[in-house]
Amino acid sequence: MNLADRLKSFSTPLTLATGVLLVAVLTELLGISLLVRIVTVMFVSMILVLGLQLFMGNSGILSFAHIGFMGIGAYTSVLFSMTPTAKELSNANLYPFLIPIHLPFLPSVLMGALLATFVAAVISYPLMRLSDAAAVITTFALLVIIHVVLVHWDRVTNGPRTLFGVDYYTTLWTSVVFCVITIFAVYLFKESRVGLRLRATRDDAYAAASIGINMVMMRWIAFIASAFIAGVGGALWAHFITSFSPYSFYLTETFVVLAMLVIGGPYSVSGAVVGALIVTAAREILRAIENYVNILQVFPQGFFGFTEVILAIVLILILVFRPSGILGSREISWPRFVRKQKATGDLDQPSAGVQGGSHV
Amino acid sequence: MPDISVTTSNHNNALVIQGLCKHFVGLRALDGVSLTLSRGEILGLIGPNGSGKTTLINVVTGLLPATSGHVFVDGLEITNKKPYQIAHAGLARTFQTIRLFRELTVLENVEVAAVSFGLSRLQARKRALEVLEEIGIVRWAEMRAGALPYGLERRVEVARALATQPKFLFLDEPAAGLNEEESEELLQTLMSIPERKNLGMLIVEHDMHLIMRLCHRLHVLNYGKTIGEGAPEEVRRIPAVVQAYLGKSAAGG
Repeated sequence: MNLADRLKSFSTPLTLATGVLLVAVLTELLGISLLVRIVTVMFVSMILVLGLQLFMGNSGILSFAHIGFMGIGAYTSVLFSMTPTAKELSNANLYPFLIPIHLPFLPSVLMGALLATFVAAVISYPLMRLSDAAAVITTFALLVIIHVVLVHWDRVTNGPRTLFGVDYYTTLWTSVVFCVITIFAVYLFKESRVGLRLRATRDDAYAAASIGINMVMMRWIAFIASAFIAGVGGALWAHFITSFSPYSFYLTETFVVLAMLVIGGPYSVSGAVVGALIVTAAREILRAIENYVNILQVFPQGFFGFTEVILAIVLILILVFRPSGILGSREISWPRFVRKQKATGDLDQPSAGVQGGSHV
Repeated sequence: MPDISVTTSNHNNALVIQGLCKHFVGLRALDGVSLTLSRGEILGLIGPNGSGKTTLINVVTGLLPATSGHVFVDGLEITNKKPYQIAHAGLARTFQTIRLFRELTVLENVEVAAVSFGLSRLQARKRALEVLEEIGIVRWAEMRAGALPYGLERRVEVARALATQPKFLFLDEPAAGLNEEESEELLQTLMSIPERKNLGMLIVEHDMHLIMRLCHRLHVLNYGKTIGEGAPEEVRRIPAVVQAYLGKSAAGG
């Protein structure tokens, strides 16, 4: 492969990364601190959505457990990054052996991600043979289990109470760098040997088995990789928000991340990126409207939940009218969309240059 | 009925099925079927509707568990192994109802089979292009498989199976739904495969014209039992076969 071909096959992640960088530069130039916060959270969410896409997009299985792994990543990383004094102040019940541990930011993020990965690897293998509704319900059960553990293990998490005193490390540019790395990682996974085989099982499990693909193993690898990314996302989020409770990693967050992926299009990496962008923008606009209506006191009892309701309605409409999201299985690519030929496609004009051997 | 003896065949270079049974509740879909398929050979598995042909393929390839009996590939027992393990033992198949990876391109459909057998994506792509060329569908390589016309879908299934470089290939009604011209093209494609690839091919098909021209040997099932076996010309003269199968058209016509 020559350089042009190499660049061409990386066209999608390069384009997506360029888009992410543009948004970041614009935000930086505008310099509005509220916008910086919103965009930083968006990039962290994007990492979570990309992690979920890695599993869901390639395996075709909806996973609710993802935000649980985000929680594990968040709690684990702050236990490593907080100073001993902050730990003693924040959680009086903390196991004594955890108090002196103190690592810099990046190793802490890594520890968070690794523990999330480890937990995912240990508990998920038997679940990977399930499909459809059974799979969805078991991943939901996983989320509930992780949540219950976080709420009740006060010697580690401070129980249902807010854990505070986390140092602020996740700046706009931290989140951008991690986001760009994640875009490339998720795209490379999709095009990897495992990713291709997993996509085959998604389209037809019997046919995949007939050519020797071990579906359970492929799904397991993807689930573990996906949990690693969720762990990273959780760790970054924790060091941005700096105080949180187990309720931060439950249904509300799950809904937002799932909505982002489903609306953008779960079957492409571009869908995850676009979904995070669109849903963040929509939420902020809706929230502004909600606040404005409240300030004007149009409704005497107040005006609440507008953002969530509209988001839910959009989600339903997308599922009804465009079940594979805005992008479907398409990837954005410079200089235009790469479309796989559709049913209306032209049999008379099959794509040229097939024998070249280097095309995506 | 001819003596179906497996002991004389070379077990190290053949697919051997011994006394295979598959009982569903109240139904003996397969009732002690034995057959041998050698490398380089084309065996036609025929019989009336519901005689157990597809069940045989599904049991041998591991989609359904066998009630009793044994299956060996080159002397290695594969009975009741998982479908993906049986594929790695060297047995590939196509499906009666087409099962393509619809969101992948035609090339990726074939490529993934080679990837599954340990090739890198680059090597797999090279092998896939070779197979597509052989099967005559390289023009459609970049098309999404879900958008293919029916006649070509069958060919992609054959190409995908071949990309695993199988020792034995099972084709479940490859000509179903094809017009005469497509059927003839398929015949030409299939005919040379076993010898060139040194693989044994088992083909289930209702198109008797195609079967008679393609197969070296026929194996006839009725109600899950073997009722005849031998060269196409011999099988035609077996009374039980005429009665159960060919007899229907004779009586009807």
